[in-house]
Amino acid sequence: MVEIKPLSADYEEYLRDESRTVGSAQSISFPRTEQEVREVLSQMSDAGVPVTVQGGRTGLAAGAVPDGGHVLNLSKMTRCVGLSPARVDESGAIDPDGAFLLTVEPGVVLSQLRKDIEDKNVDVRGWDEASLAAWRALCDAREHFFPTDPTETSATIGGMAACNASGARSYGYGPMRSHVTALRVVLSDGQTLALRRGQAVARGTSLDLVTEQGGRVHVDLPTYEMPRTKNASGYFCAPDMDAVDLFIGSDSTLGVITQVELELVALPRVIWGVSCFFADESHAVEFTRSARAALRDAKAIEYFDADALDILRAQRRASTAFAALPELRDDARACVYVELQCEAEAEATEELWKLGDVLTSSGGSEDATWVARTAVDRETQRFFRHAVPESVNMLIDERRKSDPTITKLGSDMSVPDECLPAVMRMYRETLAEQGLQSAMWGHIGNNHLHVNVLPRDAGDYARGKELFNRWARSVTEMGGAVSAEHGVGKMKRDFLRTMYGERHIREMARVKAQLDPAHILGLGNLFPPDTLPLPVGSEAAGHATDDGTREA
Amino acid sequence: MMNVMVCVKAVPSTTEVKMDPVTKTIVRDGRQSVINPFDASALEVAVRIKERLGATVGVMSMGIPDTQRILRDCLARGADFGVLLSDRPFAGADTLATSYALMRGIDKVRARWAEQGSGDLSLVVCGKMAVDGDTAQIGPELARQLGFACVTSVCEVLEATEGALRVLREVDGGHEEVRVSLPALITVTKDVCNPRMPSITGVRFGMQGPVDVWGAADVGADPGRIGLTGSPTQVVRSFTPERASGSTPIEGDAHEQARAIVDMIKEMA
Ligand SMILES: Cc1cc2nc3c(=O)[nH]c(=O)nc-3n(C[C@H](O)[C@H](O)[C@H](O)COP(=O)(O)OP(=O)(O)OC[C@H]3O[C@@H](n4cnc5c(N)ncnc54)[C@H](O)[C@@H]3O)c2cc1C
Repeated sequence: MVEIKPLSADYEEYLRDESRTVGSAQSISFPRTEQEVREVLSQMSDAGVPVTVQGGRTGLAAGAVPDGGHVLNLSKMTRCVGLSPARVDESGAIDPDGAFLLTVEPGVVLSQLRKDIEDKNVDVRGWDEASLAAWRALCDAREHFFPTDPTETSATIGGMAACNASGARSYGYGPMRSHVTALRVVLSDGQTLALRRGQAVARGTSLDLVTEQGGRVHVDLPTYEMPRTKNASGYFCAPDMDAVDLFIGSDSTLGVITQVELELVALPRVIWGVSCFFADESHAVEFTRSARAALRDAKAIEYFDADALDILRAQRRASTAFAALPELRDDARACVYVELQCEAEAEATEELWKLGDVLTSSGGSEDATWVARTAVDRETQRFFRHAVPESVNMLIDERRKSDPTITKLGSDMSVPDECLPAVMRMYRETLAEQGLQSAMWGHIGNNHLHVNVLPRDAGDYARGKELFNRWARSVTEMGGAVSAEHGVGKMKRDFLRTMYGERHIREMARVKAQLDPAHILGLGNLFPPDTLPLPVGSEAAGHATDDGTREA
Repeated sequence: MMNVMVCVKAVPSTTEVKMDPVTKTIVRDGRQSVINPFDASALEVAVRIKERLGATVGVMSMGIPDTQRILRDCLARGADFGVLLSDRPFAGADTLATSYALMRGIDKVRARWAEQGSGDLSLVVCGKMAVDGDTAQIGPELARQLGFACVTSVCEVLEATEGALRVLREVDGGHEEVRVSLPALITVTKDVCNPRMPSITGVRFGMQGPVDVWGAADVGADPGRIGLTGSPTQVVRSFTPERASGSTPIEGDAHEQARAIVDMIKEMA
């Protein structure tokens, strides 16, 4: 039995995550096996103690910050369990160019996973013969990789699945959801679900699950329509959906993920990064729209605005650690980074010329570009892109010295393709109207920008928060998502209400009640603590008005 | 207008070089070779001079035919033309034979400039050393062969004019400011400046721009002074050193530990 330790001062760091909020808890455990997870959950649900699940605690929405009760930390569950090929031919031979499916425990850290796959150095001790055969095939095959890249590589696979992480490459590869083929989940009463895509599927909005212990769980799925854009807000739902998709992005409110089967795909042979600089934001937006249509092999389209570039310029002058940043032209007021991934140089070259044409016709210039075709240049560009959020955080830390109440306010909203110019206009106009300092960057290819308000004092901070509420309403009207990749956690549950309306929130709460009747998992995530448990079956039409939600 | 030559070398993409225990040669891991990082900085120095003062910048390398790829990349980053010295008889060269071959190649470029009436060579920029050999000999040897003044380990170019350079060089325990009249050869450290990335315009030029491949006869090289024949240095044996690791725990209080360390140092001396 795993030890349940009191949450003493030694474990204080486990009250925090990267959202920079601090919670409270009475006890903590570090299970090493699924069996231990089951034991802890059974014990906690019997006692009615809330359980907060933690992975790498890199989340930005406070999903892993406890609100009392027990902390279930999965960072010790780090084994790779097995491997299988995604495709075999009639004779049983493994297709070396095809995907491989790697099963891992939830505490596996992304950076380690990447390194182990790159070095072909996965710990295969204890694997069965079929897994070992697949492993040998993977070692002989061309390089494979796991495509989801949420920037922060100390994230765990379980955490990434729980908040449906994305990142730059999601433009080409989709979010975490697209690369998860199976899950194991422990429910709050300790029963387990083995879910494989295609095997547990809803009929319409009715989903029936059978636990490995023979228990039956009926789930009435919500009826809202998902936004037509990148989304990590609330439960995934669609008619006839797969049960795997319900747990991905559920922010630990429905069950504890104890195993994830991940898709490793063949690494494209040629990867070129192209940073394009513009004199004006409108040109960058125009370029993005045209590039999306013209480029077949773009796997990432990222944006950095004039404020972000100015912060980098200042950082480069001020700090030797950033002296290696490439020098920016004075007339660069916006930057769009496009990553091309192809099988051969000839294809990449053709795409590059196409990109050049699009650039010229949208007000840019082929001269004002950086093309990274070598590992050294790619690393320089990576350093450049990552230096932006890092520099902004340093700037805020500096300001917090004089006013500790302020923090950075970062948005995570996305809209459908056709709304990109409108949403950019909205950000600019409202920021100017409020006189707020900001820096904007992110995944413009998915119309998903992180607008960061940089408050100078408490007044700015309050105005910034209010502005985010307004944006949540406007983005909802555009058919977008209030959280596109960071998840809702505890920080964005008000936005969730704005996005889905009371009735659909109640439908979500019903899902939670059906899967977690003890009402102990991830309390405070998605739903404010005082609204739960909502009476099951009380969601009927007579309920409070919807504001701006879509209904199936 | 100035004429500048930059010498570059293709090196393995990793510094973790593995030796074949039988043949005692470097095991190529199949990854493409890359430009020696010091040479990338050398090119950037030349291109910045070109931008400030106007210059023609040529890049030269001795290597296998695949090295053209690296010269084309240099064209993408601002060089005007490339020359690859590639021929069987050049193979197996030590630093002396290499610097001789480079000198012959550079002389041929100079002859061409003279023919075109576009002046003579004013500056040669080399990386301080190549990361696969670490000899740091090519620069000084080439300067000697060309009869140029030589400034090694330049870490900053303070001022450049058509007639002279004022530079900072790294020396033991500090820096030295040097003024050198041109023509001259300088070797640069990696942090003399950050190499730029090519633009799309640059990539286009890199694909189409002029890169010549010359053999030993093309540059009129004396067969006795190139390749293995022209190399007084012979590699007798290459090996990965056995790492002698081991530690001796030192116990006792701070005073006793300090004494033990002093005794050990005395013993070693
Ligand atoms: C600098 C920085 C940049 C970032 N950039 C991006 C980005 O570009 N794109 C992006 O998508 N994200 C980004 N993120 C957020 C990142 O995706 C998340 O931090 C990560 O996915 C969460 O993983 P974690 O292991 O740290 O989870 P935690 O923070 O520990 O937990 C996150 C949520 O998942 C739940 N959870 C964790 N493990 C499990 C489990 N096994 N079962 C059930 N629930 C679980 C937790 O309860 C919590 O609700 C960024 C974060 C940082 C700090």
